[in-house]
Amino acid sequence: MTRALLTGNGAAAWGARLAGVDYVPAFPITPQTEIIETIERWIEAGEMDARMVTLESEHSMVTAAGAAAATGVRVFSATSSQGLLYAMEMLYGVAGWRVPLVLVNVSRGVSAPVTLEPDHQDVLAARDSGFLQIHCSTCQEVLDGVLLAHRLAEDPRVRLPAIVNLDGFYLSFTREPVEIPSPEAVERFLPPFDAGSTRFRASTPIAQAVAVLGGGPYSYFRYEMHRAAEQALGVYAEIARDFARELGREQPAVATHRMDDAEIAIVMIGSFATKAMDAVDRMRETGRAVGLVRPRLLRPFPRDELQRVLSGARGVAVVDQNLSIGQGGVLHAELSAAIHGQPEAPPILASFIGGLGGRDITTEEFFEMVEVTRAAAEAGRPPPPRLLYTEEELREVRKLQGIALAERHEVGPGEAHASRAPEGSGS
Amino acid sequence: MYRIRLHGRGGQGMKTASRIIGSAFFAEGFEVQDAPRYGAERRGAPIFAYVRASLRPILERGVIRRPDLVVVADESLVQVPAAGVLQGIDEHSLLLLDSLEPAEVWQERLKLQGPVLTMGSQAEGSSELPTVGARCAGAAARLVGVISRSALEGAIREELAGLGDTVVASNLETALASFDAFASDEGRVCPPEEAQLAPHTAPAWVDVPHDAAGISAPDVHGAATSVQVRTGLWRTVRPEIDAERCHGCSWICSTFCPDGAVLATPEGVPRIDYDHCKGCMICASVCPHHAIASVLERDAS
Amino acid sequence: MSETRFQRMKDLPSTHLLGAGTAMCAGCGALQALQTIYDVLGERTVFVNAAGCMTLLSVYPFTPFRGSWLYTAMACAPAGAQGVRDALDILIAKGRIPPGEDLSVVTLTGDGAANGMGLSSTSGAIERGLDFLYICYDNEGYGNTGQQTSGATPHGARTATSGAPHGHAGFKKDLFSIWTAHRPAYAATVIGAEPLDLARKVEKAASLRGPRFIHVLAPCPTGWDFEPSEMIDVGRLAVRTGIWPLKEYENGQVVHTRTPHPRAPVEEYLRLQGRFRHLFEPEPDAETLGSIQQRVDDYWEAAG
Repeated sequence: MTRALLTGNGAAAWGARLAGVDYVPAFPITPQTEIIETIERWIEAGEMDARMVTLESEHSMVTAAGAAAATGVRVFSATSSQGLLYAMEMLYGVAGWRVPLVLVNVSRGVSAPVTLEPDHQDVLAARDSGFLQIHCSTCQEVLDGVLLAHRLAEDPRVRLPAIVNLDGFYLSFTREPVEIPSPEAVERFLPPFDAGSTRFRASTPIAQAVAVLGGGPYSYFRYEMHRAAEQALGVYAEIARDFARELGREQPAVATHRMDDAEIAIVMIGSFATKAMDAVDRMRETGRAVGLVRPRLLRPFPRDELQRVLSGARGVAVVDQNLSIGQGGVLHAELSAAIHGQPEAPPILASFIGGLGGRDITTEEFFEMVEVTRAAAEAGRPPPPRLLYTEEELREVRKLQGIALAERHEVGPGEAHASRAPEGSGS
Repeated sequence: MYRIRLHGRGGQGMKTASRIIGSAFFAEGFEVQDAPRYGAERRGAPIFAYVRASLRPILERGVIRRPDLVVVADESLVQVPAAGVLQGIDEHSLLLLDSLEPAEVWQERLKLQGPVLTMGSQAEGSSELPTVGARCAGAAARLVGVISRSALEGAIREELAGLGDTVVASNLETALASFDAFASDEGRVCPPEEAQLAPHTAPAWVDVPHDAAGISAPDVHGAATSVQVRTGLWRTVRPEIDAERCHGCSWICSTFCPDGAVLATPEGVPRIDYDHCKGCMICASVCPHHAIASVLERDAS
Repeated sequence: MSETRFQRMKDLPSTHLLGAGTAMCAGCGALQALQTIYDVLGERTVFVNAAGCMTLLSVYPFTPFRGSWLYTAMACAPAGAQGVRDALDILIAKGRIPPGEDLSVVTLTGDGAANGMGLSSTSGAIERGLDFLYICYDNEGYGNTGQQTSGATPHGARTATSGAPHGHAGFKKDLFSIWTAHRPAYAATVIGAEPLDLARKVEKAASLRGPRFIHVLAPCPTGWDFEPSEMIDVGRLAVRTGIWPLKEYENGQVVHTRTPHPRAPVEEYLRLQGRFRHLFEPEPDAETLGSIQQRVDDYWEAAG
């Protein structure tokens, strides 16, 4: 084992390398591209025994990934935002094929308007697809997450593909110290790929992913996917124990920080959760009973564990870096459904939308979210949903709109050069 | 915790500088976070990178709001608002500029409360040199005062390993010279006490109003509004037309300018739109009469 | 081409319709060509864009266009063009807008989308006889993500995903022939370094109806690794060495609009670019250089 500075993208590539993946169908997209470039370099240098093929689209990439997994090899791929959306049809497709593969998604806000910076809209668009989802807060968790995801996806009780999610920029391009486990330790945790009976062989023909007629069989096959995903909760607990034993790190389905006697809990996923941890520590220093709950698994949804860790809290501040247009925060809605009617359930679940398109969430904002939630708990009434957005930000947008909405006749055709004011007079 | 921000232009090696500093801290036993910050990176356009280092695990993320040390590889960036060089600088922040002008001039010009240092060793046109990043890294390493000469050397060897011995050697020479030059300023960077919780200023959150779609959709109705973006600030060299030699065949230089930044009078006499010229120098290379000279931006009038 | 209004360099507009201030790299060959293209086409156009470098032309709240623009996604710009064209036709047919409100529909795409993800939607649009002008600015790689190998990357070129010692093992896809196999209304290859030829072809394309194709070789200082100031030199050598034949297709016939004679050796073009440096250093790769020259020679021999 060595400890080295790795970007989140580098950590993802190391995960694939240590997992001994056979096949890497690829397509470049910012901010993921460094992953496939790294793997390509290793393959060229003979340091990784895998085959990489650049497809002409993510739609084709996921198709090739699923087909290779269905033929019986260990498959890894990576994408982001528009690529994940572009592949969406085939995400549902290959999950329905019940093939295990690992897809790293480097989160980035979706178009329109097109942006390069992160939020969780892309990966949450895939939440109903049948892909399991592991969400990371640090570069270490990215490497570990790829290994956990392979083991989870390939478990014969599960056999569903898995997404490992990391935030663009804040993890993808950020170096942090990461422990790179030895190949021997990884081999003890992750056995060689076993295709089971699902593979194409001359001697044992198989027709995979065939059509169905009628709702009876269709309902059965679809609900079996759901059953498998539910099963994955228990399987995850098992493999997390194995992981801790062989690789020395705890990666529970729901991570908690200072939740023991917490009256107010923050719930969120992703890299900004470490900022929430920092804010929780500072609030604890002044005697406030605050904690953090961070579901690492989002599919399957760890309902019972979330109920357990939140039970007894007076209020919960749910921070969503996503927006279900016309509804609100996805995590908030899912958590509400999970705790509704449970004994000891926190009476107040406050919804905060923040960090869209890479927008920062400041320490002061964490303080304030906790204060708003505490006040709501005392008043016994949930606060209205809140977008983390300041007067200053709105003023800035108004300025941009002033430019964008300018009347066309202000710059008439052919007059641009006169109005362009060269030689520095525009300063 | 140490919080360092490095500003430069695309191509000046600020990402590499941040990685050298990060690796050197790591070698000294620090927890580290280093990252470049860029969108679609363009040569000459402002970029920045940052480094955090602490003996405890680092939970902060993203942009550094209150830097302890700001390193600027290209002094011309100070006047570019979009570069954000001075963002969050207060009386505790140390500003290090690669500039021939003395620190006092900058201190006065920028009206800064905190300390300012300059790297006077700037050779001719050196912001274009591949070692400017190494010079910045060497200086920063000395200024924080917790990075040894050998840790800096190791970090450079590690980060530049793929570039060949010659590149490593020239960067080492530059970085170590810079490290030595700042001996008297060792440890000048002082991280402040960590911010306390109370009383915190509540964020001025606002309820975003509903606007009609004609306003709230991302549409630009104005024509050619991009002319408001002064891409001339990317330039490190500029073309200057010698009126004596110019034959007035402006269709040539104007046609070959990718940015439409060669304008012509009705008589066909070309002139350069310096607000938008990016300094690619194509006009100079296609001018049949060699009437366009290449002038270093900082030497230009 | 006697009817052209571009008889000599001086006839080219030296004040340009396209606004400055865009985020394209200094020395961008695609942007330089687009200046003249836009001057010829004018602002009564809607540019339907596929993901690529030029997606960053219009970044809220800024656009260099005086005319209209629609960003779609990487795969489906021609489908976006179809929707715009159909809607305009419907509006005019139903008398809801006067014919004077009509626009020319122009697809603007890089080589990555054109040769890969966008090819099926392009083929579909040509097959449907869509009245649109399709402009491919070809910098021979996925430039906006850091120059990975695309379907347009030439043999031997080094990219972010095609390493040493020999560079890209494959060959540049013949997009022009793919287009002409569809029998479109018009197809042409152009380059910004030959602006008269470019302007005449865009002028002709604009005068026709149906699917039309302008294939622009776009020397890219960033992706090809040469000094921005050499962009025009690189472009001229692409033509003089015969690597980039200037030609057009109309009524089933392909005609070369420029036949370099004598052709300069391909090495003159390759040497200027860092992406081919490994073909010369540390030892000349005679085999790869020879095969690149041979392909060019074979092309021109076949072209007669």
